[in-house]
Amino acid sequence: MAHSYLNSLFFVPIVVVAAPAFSADYLTIPEAQALIFDKAAVFTERPTLLSGDAKDQIKKLSGVRQRQDNQPIWKVEKDGQFLGWFFVDDVVGKHEYITYAVGVSPQGEVLGLEVLSYRETHGGEVREVSWRSQFHGKTLKDPFKLDEDVSNISGATLSCRNLLDGVKRLLVIHQLFLTQSA
Amino acid sequence: MGKSTLHRFNLVALSLATLGLSQTALAGEDLFGYVKGAEAMPKDAMELYQKVTFRNDKGQGTYRGINYETELEYGMSDKFAVSGSAKFMSLDTSGLIIDGYLPKEKEIGFKASGLELGASYMFLSPAKDDIGLSMTTSLDYDWVDTHSGQDKDTLSLELGLQTQKYMLEGELIWVGNLGMESTYADRAPLNNLPEDFDWPTDPEMEIELKLGTGLSYRFAPNWFISAEVLYETEFETEVGQERWSFFAGPSIHYGSADWWATLTWLPQLSGGGEQYEGQKDTGLHLIEKTEQEVRLKVAFNF
Repeated sequence: MAHSYLNSLFFVPIVVVAAPAFSADYLTIPEAQALIFDKAAVFTERPTLLSGDAKDQIKKLSGVRQRQDNQPIWKVEKDGQFLGWFFVDDVVGKHEYITYAVGVSPQGEVLGLEVLSYRETHGGEVREVSWRSQFHGKTLKDPFKLDEDVSNISGATLSCRNLLDGVKRLLVIHQLFLTQSA
Repeated sequence: MGKSTLHRFNLVALSLATLGLSQTALAGEDLFGYVKGAEAMPKDAMELYQKVTFRNDKGQGTYRGINYETELEYGMSDKFAVSGSAKFMSLDTSGLIIDGYLPKEKEIGFKASGLELGASYMFLSPAKDDIGLSMTTSLDYDWVDTHSGQDKDTLSLELGLQTQKYMLEGELIWVGNLGMESTYADRAPLNNLPEDFDWPTDPEMEIELKLGTGLSYRFAPNWFISAEVLYETEFETEVGQERWSFFAGPSIHYGSADWWATLTWLPQLSGGGEQYEGQKDTGLHLIEKTEQEVRLKVAFNF
């Protein structure tokens, strides 16, 4: 029977045909800050520790879990003028977490979205301007439905949905905890 | 291959004639060894799978079978995929003769044993809709009996429905499966059989029903742990319900952007129907099934 097991080696050559896929850390936090706001803007870190009750509130209003207790947030100013808030967040991808950054205006409007790291088989298009620009101007009044106000990317539906839900969750955090903080 | 080349050619021709109805595995990533999810692979994506299933122990003597399947799947659209696979097997059986099923001790080192063609269609996306729903169909032609290693032409058409639900943003995944397989089988005659040994060579028809469910949890980035339960029962021309079995077992899965692998242990928990003479464990079906199976799947994305 031993030679039967050796025959399994017949299939080993298929390992050499693995194809490259999307897998990269694309941006640092300072690079994302400069892209969404301005190189000259001043970013003041405001670590936000969320209690259990706060996380429950976030889930109730956004429809998704707030997994992290500590949400990285920066207050953004330029020449003494308050420009808004800069968030860094992780959402669940198919295999790994997707790290992204969102800029939010003082009024709770999305100013921009940048993908810092994406390591999934399909869906590298989440980094393309044409897809990310669909988030510009989004507020909590929008439906936040995939293929309704943001298009789906085939093969990466879970990633797209979780990014969409993640942005909505950050807008809820803004509404609950940041509107009085400026 | 005990049947004539012409006869086999006719079966292959029939297979090709009904090609429009076939499918093997379901698109994308298998978190489980046996039950399948409902997600489709995107248009123009391609995946190469290698599956190895080790079937071990019929409760008496030695029985070790290894089934190999190399499969290529291609996304024709964002919802529809086609696949084709080549099957091979190894077998080592001794110290056990089963009237009507296992006529001789047999040792097969490595042998091509069958071909399968398939298609899958996703009706609802598990990541976008409340619940995912897909349908699969496959057409399978084998020329070696996977149980005995003897020559046997088998043509099977399988239809399946898969449901899938994402929970906790995709960290927890539930799947449910329903399947039905219709099989036409024709054994080659055998010489030097024991006296009064039953080895029918008239064509047989079998219908198999499969129900399965599984739950998978992503406990760390890239890593999933899963459990699945499978119920299979088969009805045959002459004996009615020939067999039934419950299987359940765990899987460990690693998935990355380029490739994934799943290792599954699936013991038979209980079973019934036909039993062989002298079978000690009467709570299992051990004629066409074994006490346990171990399956490894490895796949690469293009």
